[in-house]
Amino acid sequence: VNLAVELAGLRLKNPLLAASGTFGYGVEYEGILDLSLLGGLVSKGLYLEPREGCATPRIAETPSGLLNAIGLQGIGVRGFVRDVLPRLSRYDTAVLVNVCGDTVQEYAEVSRIVDGAPGVAGIEVNISCPNVERGGIVFGGDPRLTFEVVAAVRNATRLPVIPKLSPNVADITVFARACEDAGADALSCVNTLLGLAVDVESRKPRLAFGTGGLSGPAIRPVAVRMTWQAARAVRLPVIGIGGIGSAEDALEFLIAGARAVQVGTANFVDPGVYERILAGLAAYLERHGIDDINELVGTLEFPRPLAPRHA
Amino acid sequence: MPHNRDAPLVARRHLDGAYFLLSFRHPEVARQAQPGQFVMIKAGTAAELPLRRPFSVMSVDPPQETFTLFVKAVGAGSRALTLLEPGETAQCLGPLGRPFDPPAAGVEALMVAGGYGVSPFRMFAVVLQRDSRPGRLFYGGRTALDLQEREPFAGLGVPVHPATEDGSVGRRGRVTEALEEYLDGQARAVALYASGPDAMLHAVARIAERRALVAQLSLDPWMGCGIGTCLGCVVSIQEADRPQPKLRCACTEGPVFDAHTVVWPGESSSAARRRKLQEVSA
Repeated sequence: VNLAVELAGLRLKNPLLAASGTFGYGVEYEGILDLSLLGGLVSKGLYLEPREGCATPRIAETPSGLLNAIGLQGIGVRGFVRDVLPRLSRYDTAVLVNVCGDTVQEYAEVSRIVDGAPGVAGIEVNISCPNVERGGIVFGGDPRLTFEVVAAVRNATRLPVIPKLSPNVADITVFARACEDAGADALSCVNTLLGLAVDVESRKPRLAFGTGGLSGPAIRPVAVRMTWQAARAVRLPVIGIGGIGSAEDALEFLIAGARAVQVGTANFVDPGVYERILAGLAAYLERHGIDDINELVGTLEFPRPLAPRHA
Repeated sequence: MPHNRDAPLVARRHLDGAYFLLSFRHPEVARQAQPGQFVMIKAGTAAELPLRRPFSVMSVDPPQETFTLFVKAVGAGSRALTLLEPGETAQCLGPLGRPFDPPAAGVEALMVAGGYGVSPFRMFAVVLQRDSRPGRLFYGGRTALDLQEREPFAGLGVPVHPATEDGSVGRRGRVTEALEEYLDGQARAVALYASGPDAMLHAVARIAERRALVAQLSLDPWMGCGIGTCLGCVVSIQEADRPQPKLRCACTEGPVFDAHTVVWPGESSSAARRRKLQEVSA
């Protein structure tokens, strides 16, 4: 069976990517899993300069979910290009860089540096991190700013540009269209849901930052719904993200319209997750007599009439 | 190099209260784990939450390819582990982290444990005995129930100084009070090793700073992944010659840290840095 997918000019040997912020820079997993198993990986978000991130505690477990406020701690884009990219070139997997900025100019500058680096397959634009004071969700929560950032990145690179959308909006299709209009090549759907967990003994938030981003199986139905909406609203290919830990979870997104998926929180729980999902996808296709995983994309049979696609 | 595999439970012993001894088959952990290292482990379906939990390895049996954890069932992750039946598997990644540095020749290792924090010291005591190094355990908890598994230490040539807050066994009061009493009464070279709740670790760090003693702490922050990718477990660490503290992953750069380099909440620099600045200005 064929598991390879093509989207936005990316050729992936299978539809599984490691999600930004849940896989470090990839090299942390050397020796624990074979990175060449992955269709691709998306780096931790990178600014121009290194960042310290939020105070601790930074993570809290909630029912079927993980609430985090790491705050984009990172080594900076130059450190990544210098120290990490050469190590990743040993693996047969697509490397995407998640680009951050406090300002539109910084997004563009980071993108230019990434564009000039060897071994990068694409840029994911982080307009949806809920755990920073500036940038992130500030851009992803306003369609005009979304357009502005994506257009600036578009002008800074010839690499595929893939904005990562926030689920913390009333209508994700507005943002999907803004990205399409700004020249994006694909969409990542979705980042974490803004949450708040309270320690009732101290009457303080369980995270030092206060609020955090919720991920894991708890958000999967929300993410599948938003992926489905976005895929119907634009012609761009959509990469589904949200609580994927099994082949069945990945299939939900593909059937709802995603052309590929990212595995996030499950990386923390089980480094063997890619091997299991790939085996499960192949078994599913064989059981259903399907030769090519691309045939599944967007085959959801919805029980009630809908407005036409790409309206 | 840590190894990720399904680890079948081979033995379970329920001690008093919520305390359990759980032994798992995992050849790499059994052969390679050093005192102070840990595993990330969970019961139940592989990729579903809860996250794996970090547990210090208590003991290893290389010929049997097994290791043993000392687990207090306190939350969802630990309780699920204690409900496993022999033959059922846990998902386990290990061995992980930086172990304790052994004491220098002629230096007595003073181990300070709070409750299930005693876990890494069993392995440590085995190594001390093997290397003919003297050791001593200060073991504290709220009540006698929290001072499980004391007996094996005597057999390893490590005297135990128990302390409980209710006085039900050993000295009444905090374990660090028992430690200070011992330090007051002798003059030989010692090194402190501590594993337990944060308040106890901080108290040991203050003792080490005041008395200028070598000390290592096994920190126990919330961990997400165990391999340095989630950045959830970072702690503020400052070496003497660095002007600023740096965030370090407790999972990959710890969990064992030099007590003098730890910057505690509310403090702006580490003891090592403060001492260095004092020396410079003197």
